[in-house]
Amino acid sequence: MLAALAGDARSYHEMLNEAAALLRVYFRRRLGHAGEDIEDLVQETLIAIHTRRATYDGIRPFTAWMFALARYKLIDLLRRGQGEISFDGMEEILSGGDFESATMARMDVEALLASLPAKQARAIRDTKLEGLSVAEAAASEGLTVTDVKVSVHRGLKQLALRLRGK
Amino acid sequence: MTMQKTRRLIDDLADGLRPVPPRAVERRIGTALLSGMAISAVLTALTLGIRPDLMTALQGSVFWMKSLYVGSLALLAGLASVRMARPGTVPPRWLWLSLLPVVVIAALAGTEMMHTPREGWSALWLGKSWKVCPFLVLGLSIPIFVTLMRTLKKLAPTNLRATGALAGVTAGASAALVYCLHCPESTAGFLLVWYSGGIALAGLIGASLGPRFLRW
Repeated sequence: MLAALAGDARSYHEMLNEAAALLRVYFRRRLGHAGEDIEDLVQETLIAIHTRRATYDGIRPFTAWMFALARYKLIDLLRRGQGEISFDGMEEILSGGDFESATMARMDVEALLASLPAKQARAIRDTKLEGLSVAEAAASEGLTVTDVKVSVHRGLKQLALRLRGK
Repeated sequence: MTMQKTRRLIDDLADGLRPVPPRAVERRIGTALLSGMAISAVLTALTLGIRPDLMTALQGSVFWMKSLYVGSLALLAGLASVRMARPGTVPPRWLWLSLLPVVVIAALAGTEMMHTPREGWSALWLGKSWKVCPFLVLGLSIPIFVTLMRTLKKLAPTNLRATGALAGVTAGASAALVYCLHCPESTAGFLLVWYSGGIALAGLIGASLGPRFLRW
């Protein structure tokens, strides 16, 4: 890229070809499909690389600079396509990280609950995960209110012991 | 095929390649800033008038206190704008340095109060032009703001709100510097409230306009 800034057209050409390949993977991975809009985004980013090449400072890695442009173009596309989206939501779409960790946490809880007696696990799932009141949970399971309360209490105590490594 | 099109696009882009001079971002933003300030200076001279005692004022310390205060703010915000013109950047951490001039002026305002009897305090803070000062600064910042925003849009800011805010503060502070050519006020208290007020107003407007007008 530094050669390109100095005006070397041949290394610039080569660099743009490599950039196009990288960008294609970048956008495909983030949008989760291949299609016309991927290639549109690739072209838009290449044009941005060209017209805004003065903003590359030669200090940061070239790819970091290029992906910053690509990311901007991607966010711009998502905004246009889906109207008003909060920026927080956008971060999640782009990184996929929160979704992954949320899924993992959910799986951990399920694994722990599976280790409890069925009655206790159900009581905890109803009241703590599904958000039912104790009375509602008792009615749906055909138990007394006290029974549900005791099950939840015993179950949580068991889980706490297990989490502490017993 | 579209991939063919991409290949042709790359050929076209590489064909038209022209070298980029070093420090191009700094130069472009600097040019925008100076040309905007020149317009504001002409506007000041034509509509508000240059203060008649400018030559005397140049020899006193008050004029320089005012110029240094807004000048240092303009410089810091301008340098931060240069940084924001590059993609994927956040406002620099050294931006907190811009609090220093504010603290110095606040301290000077405190000393002024100690040396002035209570009856004179309102004159210290309000001067003769407090009602118009922030709005004149804001008005003079418009040409600078426009040239800065047009230049930034052609670079690659990705944090549009922060970039807009910094462009606003840069425009406001350099407009205030130009406004020193006209403004006869001479107290630190006035400077602290009304100059800073105009600059802050410009920054707020910049932050609200950034996302719409800087998109590329």
